[in-house]
Amino acid sequence: MALRELASLEKYLGLKKPNKYSTQGDKKVPVLQNNNAPPLVGLVTIACHLVKEAKRSELLGCGAEARAVVQQWLEYRVTKLDGHAKEDIKTILKDLNLYLQDKVYLAGNQFTLADVLMYYGIHSIILDLAVQEKEQYMNVTRWFDHIQHHPGVRHHLPPVAVLRNRLYTSRHH
Amino acid sequence: MMELFVSEGNPHCLKVLAALEVTGVQCGVHFINHEEKVVPFLSRPALPALLLPSKQHIFSSNTICRYLFELNGPESSDQCNQWLEWEATVLQPALLRALHMAVLQGKGSEVSKVLQSPLNVLDQSLGKGNMSYLTGKDVSVADIVLWGALHPVLFNSSLALSDHKFVKAWFDRVAAMSGCQSAAQKVLQGKGLEAMKSYMQRQPAPQSRDTQPCNS
Repeated sequence: MALRELASLEKYLGLKKPNKYSTQGDKKVPVLQNNNAPPLVGLVTIACHLVKEAKRSELLGCGAEARAVVQQWLEYRVTKLDGHAKEDIKTILKDLNLYLQDKVYLAGNQFTLADVLMYYGIHSIILDLAVQEKEQYMNVTRWFDHIQHHPGVRHHLPPVAVLRNRLYTSRHH
Repeated sequence: MMELFVSEGNPHCLKVLAALEVTGVQCGVHFINHEEKVVPFLSRPALPALLLPSKQHIFSSNTICRYLFELNGPESSDQCNQWLEWEATVLQPALLRALHMAVLQGKGSEVSKVLQSPLNVLDQSLGKGNMSYLTGKDVSVADIVLWGALHPVLFNSSLALSDHKFVKAWFDRVAAMSGCQSAAQKVLQGKGLEAMKSYMQRQPAPQSRDTQPCNS
């Protein structure tokens, strides 16, 4: 799974020469084989390396504070989202929904690597949501829809239908 | 001005206080209760938490440490990033189980078994390059983060490191830094594992699926 993500990320970044990967251990942690340097291990580590290789460091955030926010969500992806217990899904969606209330992207107004990896990581959860749940976590689905339509990001994943008009209207804004 | 929120007896707070002392970054520090909610969008209390000048919250210890180091220095290297990711995804689940056993179940003797595999990884890496620190000749954020994570189980030698001599030499080297000593004193108050009891009681029990191989 992580390897497909990295392949999609390489395409998004427009890296011409595909890298060589393998995986490590039961959890299939990705390993990037480097010709002239030691191998790199870990999804976030490799993804950040690819971004720098493609000279797209704006995707890691502009300025120290934005970089910290991007790293925060990258870490969240591999510690909280990956390997989550079933009962944690509601908490993850609830927290993200509140966080995204006043934001276009995870780092605010700028599209970053955090959006890409969170989108890849949360795809299976969003795919399983009922229509009513998609409305309950409206900020998350709005963000998700935005990212899946971001040019060149979706690649290996099927699109998820997101209704733009509410079915279950309880109140008007 | 930045504000850092920490609680006593929380092992993750050890890392950020050490990073703060080592980097000398100016920041307000507030000791609060484990249960106090600082980050407005998280349903569960999360400490340490850093409130940035832009009013955004950073709620994981590794990202806070990295930010503090990057404020006055270069961006962290690939090697550094790799250690931080390994710490969060491999070492922490093992440490949570180890601390759960040692602090809440009084089974301190089991700790070395649980930590065997990550300590082997660390020992091999330190031994291979014959390096003083994880990423080379100089201290990096990776050293502070891993030292802070391991301090609660390694500091009083409850865990013999005779099989891991490179880890021992590295750990003692980092622990000797005055910033690390003062951070440990602030968080653990010289009480050792006992200081973490109330924090550990509030943590969800380690998931058993982590301890069993997936191919069963």
